[in-house]
Amino acid sequence: MRSQILFAILIAANLQAQPPGPPQPPRPAKAAAPVDLTGYWVSVISEDWRWRMVTPMKGDFASIPVNQEARRVGATWDPSKDEAAGLQCKAYGAPAIMRAPGRVHITWQDDNTLKLETDEGAQTRVFNFAPPGSQGLIRLDGEPTWQGFSVANWERAPRGVEIPDPVPIFSVRQGGQGRSLEVFTTHLRPGYLRKNGVPYSAVATVNEYYDYHKERNGDEWFTVTTIVRDQQYLTGPWITSSDFKKEPDGSKWDPSPCKAR
Amino acid sequence: MKRTLLLIAATLAAVPLWAQVDFTGEWAPAYHEDGPERLPGPELGDYMGIPLSDAGRLRADSYDADRISVVTEYQCRPHSSDYGMRGLGNLRVTRDIDITTQNLVAFHTYMPAWGSVRTIWMDGRPHPPAYAEHTFQGFSTGVWEGNMLTISTTHLKANYLRRNGVASSDKRIVTEHWTRHGDFLTVIVVVEDPVMLTEPLVRSENWYLDPGQKIPPSFCEYAAEVPAPVGSVPHHLIGKNAFLTEVAEWYGLPAEATRGGAKTMYPEYRKTMPKPIKPAPEKCERFCVCTTLADCNLNDTVPSPGAAPAPRP
Repeated sequence: MRSQILFAILIAANLQAQPPGPPQPPRPAKAAAPVDLTGYWVSVISEDWRWRMVTPMKGDFASIPVNQEARRVGATWDPSKDEAAGLQCKAYGAPAIMRAPGRVHITWQDDNTLKLETDEGAQTRVFNFAPPGSQGLIRLDGEPTWQGFSVANWERAPRGVEIPDPVPIFSVRQGGQGRSLEVFTTHLRPGYLRKNGVPYSAVATVNEYYDYHKERNGDEWFTVTTIVRDQQYLTGPWITSSDFKKEPDGSKWDPSPCKAR
Repeated sequence: MKRTLLLIAATLAAVPLWAQVDFTGEWAPAYHEDGPERLPGPELGDYMGIPLSDAGRLRADSYDADRISVVTEYQCRPHSSDYGMRGLGNLRVTRDIDITTQNLVAFHTYMPAWGSVRTIWMDGRPHPPAYAEHTFQGFSTGVWEGNMLTISTTHLKANYLRRNGVASSDKRIVTEHWTRHGDFLTVIVVVEDPVMLTEPLVRSENWYLDPGQKIPPSFCEYAAEVPAPVGSVPHHLIGKNAFLTEVAEWYGLPAEATRGGAKTMYPEYRKTMPKPIKPAPEKCERFCVCTTLADCNLNDTVPSPGAAPAPRP
């Protein structure tokens, strides 16, 4: 997949979050990771159970800020047509896949590429970090895909605008330490936000924030906040957050193909 | 020169820890998860997604929706700080800064449901002893984990896990993780309840910054809404609640799954899940477009021409 994508690396100052003090040499994303998201994780379905664990009824748009056109398109959902067209993966694209019940396996593909695989629908997502010393990546061509093109970075500290502090004593800032993985995905092949045919279009984009948290009983989790924007079918951003618990190994990993119904 | 350096050093020493994030502001909720449950309210017998214990399920089964109409003590019962995050409510966050040290002392939250005010102490004070008073908002302390605010809440009164009778006990401990990503706030709520749950209940909710939000005043008046003998508490005895399978029938779900429990919350449950007791309707019939309270009573998949558009979130 990577070879099919031509992308540009923007050379600029490294804007990765840095603690106060002397400037540090830029490091690859893997070495700079503030949290470890690698491993096997299971989605625990404590929210939206009847929209995730079973395929919802046609015309059920509850909780998604769809416009009238999305309702019209969603009302025509016909899974048999998707099966006949070989489009069983329409509900497994990046805007929807983290909401699907299943397990994910996260590994470093290389120093600047994080890979997220799903057993549900056997999908692979690739999160591309900008190499050290660059500001970012822009995809210039390539066919839209279910998982699109994802640019990643370790989220920077909150800051209003990028103007250097004029007085040094205020350079020690609140929120100077980011620890979330931020992912922005574009170049998506049109698909479904929900398995019952709630549509998203080719202009949809996805912002994600992966937050690691460890609980009192020792369980490790990450919660991914997913913000889908789609001017064609949504009246505003669709915001969900999905919770994954870490598993000790891959013994429950159970790949299964996409299903249209 | 030396005095200037000393001044700078003293100022730096007093600067708050650099892991802090400002959560203050007016936050509007996004009901983009479980909208029908959180806006108009959950269906009776819907325990899906909750790792209920047998005791928790028994307690929920006894619930009669007339209880709130008859037992006035329940009518103005606030949402606790943990349920409040999941329930219906906008959010305001303010903070106290010590004027001398410039250190953060506390965050405060206000939610319009029964005017709930809560303090999250950030000054390192300990939790009170176990015998201290329990309240609906509990006693909360917070610590920073990078850009994440982690809050521990104890001393909570019994309340709701879902407002259809699924109760929480006063023995629960709640951990929250707040993260702010630009103008979005995500709050992860972890409820450990040794009475009502068999494993921690982890849910997460989302808000978006809305500087123009004006929260209306909150008021609640008691009123007997249904005639009933004084002192009566509407309830169902064990095995006598005839309404528990309604939700499974309306949505074409296996009855077992609607009863909740930890095993039903993992993906592999789908392999052993029983068949529905009744096939699902061909198309959605209830709360089909429920994303804001204004459109939760609309069931038309495709609105008729000229219908008022739903408000933007």
